[in-house]
Amino acid sequence: MYEFQEQIGFPILTVITFLPALGGLAVLFARGKPNVYKGITLAVTGVNFLLSLVLIQYFDRYTATMQFVEKVPWISSLGISYHMAVDGISVLLIMLTTLLSLIIVPASWNYIKDRELQFFAAFLFLETGLIGVFCARDLFMFYVFWEVMLIPMYFIIGVWGGPRRIYAAIKFFLFTFAGSLLMLIAIVAIAYLARSNPFATPVFDMDLLENATFSYQVQVLAFLAFFIAFAVKVPMWPLHTWLPDAHVEAPTAGSVILAGVMLKVGGYGMLRLCIPLFPDAVVAIAPYILVLSIIAIVYGALVSLVQKDLKKLVAYSSVSHMGFVTAGIFALNIVGIEGGIMVMFSHGLLTGALFLMVGFLYERLHTREISEMGGLAGPFPVMAAFFSFFALASLGLPGLSGFVGEFLSLVGLFTYSKPMAAVASIGIILAAAYLLWMYQRVMFTGLRDQKWYKVPDYSLREIVSLAPLGILAVWAGVYPNTFLQLIQPPAARLTEKMAPYMAESGSVVERIFASLGGLF
Amino acid sequence: MKQDLLAIMPEIMLIATAVVILLVDPLLPVDGRRGLSWLGIAASVTAAIATWQLRDEEYSVFSHSIAVDKYSIFFKILLLVVAALAMLLSEKYLFLKKRLLGDYYALILFATIGMMVMAEAVDLITFFVGLELMALCSYLLAGFFRYQERSVEAGMKYFLTGAFASNFLLFGMAILYGLAGSTNYQEIGDAIRLGPVPSGPLVIAIVLVLAGFAFKVGAAPFHNWAPDVYQGAPTPAAAFLAVGPKIAAFAAILKFFTIMLGSQESTWVPLMIAVAILTMIVGATMALLQKDLKRMLAFSSIGHVGYLLLAVIATGSSGRSIGMSSVLFYLAAYTFMNMGAFGVLVHMTNHSSFGDTLDDIAGAGKSFPWAAGIMSLFMLSLTGVPPTAGFLAKFYLFSAVVDAGYAWLAVVGALFSLVSAFFYLRVIVYMYMRSPEQELEMSEDGKSWDLGLGLGIAATGVIVLGILPAPVVDAAQNAVVKLLGN
Repeated sequence: MYEFQEQIGFPILTVITFLPALGGLAVLFARGKPNVYKGITLAVTGVNFLLSLVLIQYFDRYTATMQFVEKVPWISSLGISYHMAVDGISVLLIMLTTLLSLIIVPASWNYIKDRELQFFAAFLFLETGLIGVFCARDLFMFYVFWEVMLIPMYFIIGVWGGPRRIYAAIKFFLFTFAGSLLMLIAIVAIAYLARSNPFATPVFDMDLLENATFSYQVQVLAFLAFFIAFAVKVPMWPLHTWLPDAHVEAPTAGSVILAGVMLKVGGYGMLRLCIPLFPDAVVAIAPYILVLSIIAIVYGALVSLVQKDLKKLVAYSSVSHMGFVTAGIFALNIVGIEGGIMVMFSHGLLTGALFLMVGFLYERLHTREISEMGGLAGPFPVMAAFFSFFALASLGLPGLSGFVGEFLSLVGLFTYSKPMAAVASIGIILAAAYLLWMYQRVMFTGLRDQKWYKVPDYSLREIVSLAPLGILAVWAGVYPNTFLQLIQPPAARLTEKMAPYMAESGSVVERIFASLGGLF
Repeated sequence: MKQDLLAIMPEIMLIATAVVILLVDPLLPVDGRRGLSWLGIAASVTAAIATWQLRDEEYSVFSHSIAVDKYSIFFKILLLVVAALAMLLSEKYLFLKKRLLGDYYALILFATIGMMVMAEAVDLITFFVGLELMALCSYLLAGFFRYQERSVEAGMKYFLTGAFASNFLLFGMAILYGLAGSTNYQEIGDAIRLGPVPSGPLVIAIVLVLAGFAFKVGAAPFHNWAPDVYQGAPTPAAAFLAVGPKIAAFAAILKFFTIMLGSQESTWVPLMIAVAILTMIVGATMALLQKDLKRMLAFSSIGHVGYLLLAVIATGSSGRSIGMSSVLFYLAAYTFMNMGAFGVLVHMTNHSSFGDTLDDIAGAGKSFPWAAGIMSLFMLSLTGVPPTAGFLAKFYLFSAVVDAGYAWLAVVGALFSLVSAFFYLRVIVYMYMRSPEQELEMSEDGKSWDLGLGLGIAATGVIVLGILPAPVVDAAQNAVVKLLGN
């Protein structure tokens, strides 16, 4: 029952997961000046980021097996164990999480004025929830972490958000909670169905569940329950309506984590649970999901085009970009899956950076209306440079991270269906349109107000928070192999798992009809 | 005889303490009466330890009318925890409201004895005596503030509907006796299973018993008394009434519907499904409309009864063992989170001009940082968010329901938990995200170690049951083993 993989000498996954929560408690009990608890937060997130680098360093990137395994019985009479382990996908996303968590501390150093202590504590608890989701190998634990990350985010939006924060926070909570409850019932159902006999304890261990087989009907129902929970998080059209509200109202740091990591949790869940557990159902339902993804890509881009609020524009662009994630993943071939994961990673960096910059802009101008801006490149040359860099990266300029992911994802989709890939690529053109047009309206076209010359340009603190994201974006764009190496073995394992089910082929329309035939 | 007395030693201790409290009370000045609270708490704790000492034995005493086994021990300890918590919550509140009387503690102890008897009875007459002892004390507790109109109304309402419910139960039990010729649960169960029993009267008996219990636990459509009683009763008494009688009633429901009526599933399961769904609907939708927190908690507890009934339904099927143990675990979790929530209201009333409404709680995050923090914990637990007791309880309960083959009922339950999330979160929204329309007048008189300890225990219980639930889960599973043997 006990299992501990001696890879590094200490249970690094437990440490990296719970260190932020401990830090959060320390912050809650901290007395004294704001700099004390800000310092604690910075130290904890910093150490955690270093730990994640250690994790990558010791991680064996040439195997798809789960590593750094820690397994201890937890509630043994219910078959629940404390089981943590990671593969390349998790490691990459853990690194992204710790990096963004570290960055938002200096970024929100002066932004939050009210109840700062609770704000930083909430952030640390949030980090625990997020990392926990990426480490959990037990379905019960997965669900626990999944919900744990919900609460701090709810508070972050609801307490420190904008004027309509309460509406946005409740909408965010109810959407996600609705999805989670469906998932909970599906978790329980498959755990009980996977038992060897009616008197055995239920099976929550993902390793064991991946070898279990479920009937087609069970697979379809359970897949849908899981998928809806993840699709709300991603968010996929038409379940995306909470996202613009949440982003517009959330404080900058909240938006960064929300877009940077929380949306990825949805895609991660699809890779980790939907595909390995229900291969039959995935093959049957993939075409529909692809259709939805493509709608999301085009719809998100079109809606971005007409936004008047800068933050809303970035929020809707997330819907479009995340469409490439699901499109890549459910193309069900190795290139597509790798592409999907790369889009997740790169979107985390770039959208994180864009939200940070929108926040910095707002701190200076106290508005996010695009129509009130214009000519800002004059007073803020450094800001304009950063803005152009991240906008170009986000629209998929070759040589930067956005291009790699979207390209691979489109190639994957192309192998699955050529017409779909053709429609999806419209999204990239539209991305160029809305980002460049936005850039033009914000940075060029006549300065509205001379007083902005008196406002200082980016400070060192702001440059330091953006620079790492920029460096990684270039790295992933120029030499993506560093990251692709990590995700290649697990992606290969997923496609191997799917291979026996992929026998049928033909046009998308034929596949849709074939899957309908299977249902009835 | 010696065995008989040994088996009910915890109850004897409580009776003795209650009598001592009643006798000493008139002799003490008001300030001295505070010690009575600690006497009652000490008695509960001692009785709980004494009960725990009996865990390895099995007694069937008083001519097989009382069974002290793992099942009843689980419930008895839980009930004693409820009693102790209720007394911890009460002392300061009663003092400030100038009703600090020993009678109150004696009533709680007597009611607890009645509940313990309900949990351990295996005979209809003994059960009914326990039920009435509990019920009569509860009516008095609800109406304890006899100078307040609301409280008196609560007591009266509780009494009238309670008497009505008791009569339903009694009538149903009389029919069962008539059919089986015995008052012993086991013998009734055997007679119904083996014999030819006329189905007409049996169905009537089942309906009456179900209706009686539905009244007692506050299940729809017999729930109307609950909001008025909880709102009118003194807040700490409401905490006790919202939890204790439910635990005792569910202890008895499980015994009734497995030992006695286990063979009649096909009759009572559909009825109970209807009651459970209706209860969840009423609980969730009505709680949405409440502005008064005590009424909101009343409807919320109605909703929780709905979930508990789902687990009882699961016992009627293949998922027996897990269905029953999930009821036990759920009740344990419910105890801490619900009493905690009421306790926070008591705390706020003691310290300010708090009037139990949502508007009053606005901005509590600033004026009561600690109380608001743990109130959020209780609300999240009631919603069923990990890592709290409420989540594990709901998880366990849904497992039982799914395992029993009622996945669709679990989906219905999940739907109502989603609705319930809305009104539980609203409390948090008011506490942290709104500013008060008018500031509460704060006073320093309300400082109370008892209350702090009670809230601490409740909060710890909620977290421990959420993170390290294994011992309680195991205890719940062991507790039902014998019941299933029948």
